[in-house]
Amino acid sequence: MRSFMVGLALAAVACGRGDPARGPRVVCVSKQINEFLYDIHAESVLVARDLTSIYPPAITRLPSVGYHRALSAEGIVSMRPTMLLTDGNLGPETVVEQVRKVGIPVVVLTPGSTPDSAQLLMQRLGTEFHHEAQADSVVATWKQQMSDVLRDSTKWAAGRRPRVLVMHFGQMVNDYLGLKRGSTADQIIQWAGGVNAIDSTGGMLRLTPELIAKAAPDIIIATDVGFDRLGSSAKFASLPGVALTPAGKSGHVYRVDETEVMYFSPRTPGVLRKIAEWLHQGASSPARS
Amino acid sequence: MGDEAPGRMPVARRSDAFVHLGLALVLLASLVASACLGAFTFTPARIASYVAQGAGWIPLREADTLGRSVFFQLRLPRVLLAALAGAVLGVSGTLMQGLFRNPIVEPGLAGTSAGAALGAALIFVLGGSTGALAFSAPLGVFAVPVLAFAGAFAATIVVYRISSSFGKVNVFTLLLAGIAVNAVCGAGTGFLSYVARDPQARNIVFWSLGTFTTADWRGVALVGVCFAVCFAISIGYAKPLNALMLGEDEAAYLGSDPRRLIARLLVVNTIMVAAATAMVGVIAFVGLVVPHVLRMMRSSSYAFLLPASALLGATMMVVVDIVAREVIPPAELPIGIITAVIGAPVFLWILLRDQRKGSAGYYG
Amino acid sequence: MVDRDERRGVELRDVSFRAGGALILDRVSVGFEPGKLNVILGPNGAGKSTLLRIATGLAHPTSGEVRYDGESIAGLAAEPLARRRAVLSQHVELAFALPVADVVLMGRYPHYGRVPAPRDLEIVNHALALVGMENKRDQPYPTLSGGEQQKVHLARVLAQIWNDDPAGGSDAMRYLFLDEPTSGLDVHYQLHILKVVRELLSPGCTVIAVLHDLNMAFEYGDHFVLLERGTVAVSTSDSRAIPAEVLERVFRVRARPLQTREGAGSLWRFEL
Repeated sequence: MRSFMVGLALAAVACGRGDPARGPRVVCVSKQINEFLYDIHAESVLVARDLTSIYPPAITRLPSVGYHRALSAEGIVSMRPTMLLTDGNLGPETVVEQVRKVGIPVVVLTPGSTPDSAQLLMQRLGTEFHHEAQADSVVATWKQQMSDVLRDSTKWAAGRRPRVLVMHFGQMVNDYLGLKRGSTADQIIQWAGGVNAIDSTGGMLRLTPELIAKAAPDIIIATDVGFDRLGSSAKFASLPGVALTPAGKSGHVYRVDETEVMYFSPRTPGVLRKIAEWLHQGASSPARS
Repeated sequence: MGDEAPGRMPVARRSDAFVHLGLALVLLASLVASACLGAFTFTPARIASYVAQGAGWIPLREADTLGRSVFFQLRLPRVLLAALAGAVLGVSGTLMQGLFRNPIVEPGLAGTSAGAALGAALIFVLGGSTGALAFSAPLGVFAVPVLAFAGAFAATIVVYRISSSFGKVNVFTLLLAGIAVNAVCGAGTGFLSYVARDPQARNIVFWSLGTFTTADWRGVALVGVCFAVCFAISIGYAKPLNALMLGEDEAAYLGSDPRRLIARLLVVNTIMVAAATAMVGVIAFVGLVVPHVLRMMRSSSYAFLLPASALLGATMMVVVDIVAREVIPPAELPIGIITAVIGAPVFLWILLRDQRKGSAGYYG
Repeated sequence: MVDRDERRGVELRDVSFRAGGALILDRVSVGFEPGKLNVILGPNGAGKSTLLRIATGLAHPTSGEVRYDGESIAGLAAEPLARRRAVLSQHVELAFALPVADVVLMGRYPHYGRVPAPRDLEIVNHALALVGMENKRDQPYPTLSGGEQQKVHLARVLAQIWNDDPAGGSDAMRYLFLDEPTSGLDVHYQLHILKVVRELLSPGCTVIAVLHDLNMAFEYGDHFVLLERGTVAVSTSDSRAIPAEVLERVFRVRARPLQTREGAGSLWRFEL
């Protein structure tokens, strides 16, 4: 169903495309899709990004059209794009309608929730921007690395599974959010041999010190913005609630980039190995700071 | 009437018309500026060309397609919506100050805007086909304004009832009741944004600070019609509103029915404010600043104030919109923040000036 | 003798008023004739304000009726009534800066639609001249002293019932009510206002004033109605006919009459 929708969307785009001689001008407000475009070396189609698309670092040379949840149609259209590309996570919702109204197609490519669907997305991007060969090559390597790491993960899952809490900082609510079960980060934790310290399934949970203490994680993985506010593991470990957890007391607080755990990408196998190492160093080894 | 005529015509001074004309010209200038400035910069000549193309007077130019679309679909509705919302808020402030006989009253402080916001938030979160308010689905696109009106009306009634006894309004109590109702509605809206599933929450947070980003022609039509009707009704009551300045008893002695007047104008005011709030979110302080400036500048007579506050309110909003768009491009500052930055100091200044005047405190 | 149903002036017939369980006015029947300064007297709580609100038509009596020149006012609409009847209140709170002339012009509101006629503006000027405020017509109202402000309201009220044709029929009858118009003013303004009011007396106008200063009332008034706890204690045109005992009982003071010249109102010295 999903691939059907993706195909439909792309077909609609193909019909409404601007002058091919000019070359495509794409405004993409999705971190994941932006990263993939760079992976398949199709980044030259990009003319603008959203504020939070900062990987790979080269992308920051492109102008930003603002925070992906506080966009302005005029700002996007002023880039004279031939297409607005998004993974569905953008706001306010009327922006999509407004951009379409001035004749610019909006393509929504949802990445799904598995590495397979993410790989499919990359291949669709390859088709769309005529970089099929690169896309296929990246996907092939990615698939290989994923199957290798998943093979290794069986031995990580065999032993004790530490409780892991992934703490993300929500900029619009100005508070910490915990990723629940069923999310991409949760899947990565599971493969790495951990178990999500939060019991419920869904999107993200607003964390209070009590909830953090109740979750009692052995390991805390904090994303970049939330970690960098405090600056170090030691400082993070002293946050209210965190200080009462096994992770806080033993100093097992680690930092990842948001882009490493929020979606599946070719970097995921590497991230998996990194996290597995943290989880299975065990309580005996010193914490990284 | 020559200059030898005994005195001026206070209810409708001839020279008032000149001031109105001046304000209209300033508004026109700001409208043109707002139409030109932004992520896309249009020159007035180009705009004229777009209009001519759109009207069919000159043939369509291919190269102008994008510019035309942006101008007619995005820019123009936004500029007009800002002007209309400003007119609504300016007139609403003037009306409420007349009804409650105090210059520190406006729809933001009296709870009307907050009630409208809560009504609209209820639809955002609980509306749709599966929400708790699914019954509102037949209302279609009118669901938001209708619920906004219901919320605004409920909030205004509560504030009015609490603050009036034996038909007289105690303004001190009114301001306190307004604070309370604002707090309750704000808590309700906040709660809704907290429990909302993600897409709805995006709507509320973004819009509750005031924004013209989502402007479209439907919104312009709704606010435009509501404003036109409500303004036409209000201006017919200029004389009784003046009389009301002396007090409800005095107004009754002069031949009007103050209770009915207040009830009617409250309804009219609530409709306008609800429509505007439903489209652009909560914007405060416009209704406070605009009438105050006009009173200081010229006159407290309603035949002057009502049209003037529409014109000046519209101008203020259009200028604020330009600022919101141009200060941190391509991002936009929420409108409500800018009006608060301007309006809160003015509010404090009115209070301080009032204190200094002591028992002879007056306004204007 | 005047036929009872063709009584001129303002007449209250059997007026009672009950509010919140209390009987504030108890079957008050009293007549006020035109051409005289009718004065209502009484201590606080006697029901003077209520009596005035009912007599002016602002409030409806629980029972009984009010008649102006024989016609009951119960059925009259607010605007036609406002063209014949004006009320000067004790204190009018105006918090907005309007020029004096604008305030006086409000008295003409019942007489014109959207735009005032030249006649209305003339009347405003005449009214201002009558109270001696014509050179302050452009001054903002809040900058005036208390006494000046009250004079402006008197001008407004006069403008409201300005009568060009005093000899005309019942349509030309006017009714002026004054609710403690001198309270809070210094003696200059008190005397000035009473002087102006006396000069207005004419057969075409019924004037009723609530006054609190007994001596001033007796000096300037022509007919006296003394209210005591919702009923009429005394109604007379001769202030000298009011005995000290009545004053002492009603006002709860000791009253000692003083010598006055022949023909003047009675004059009292009060002590607790």
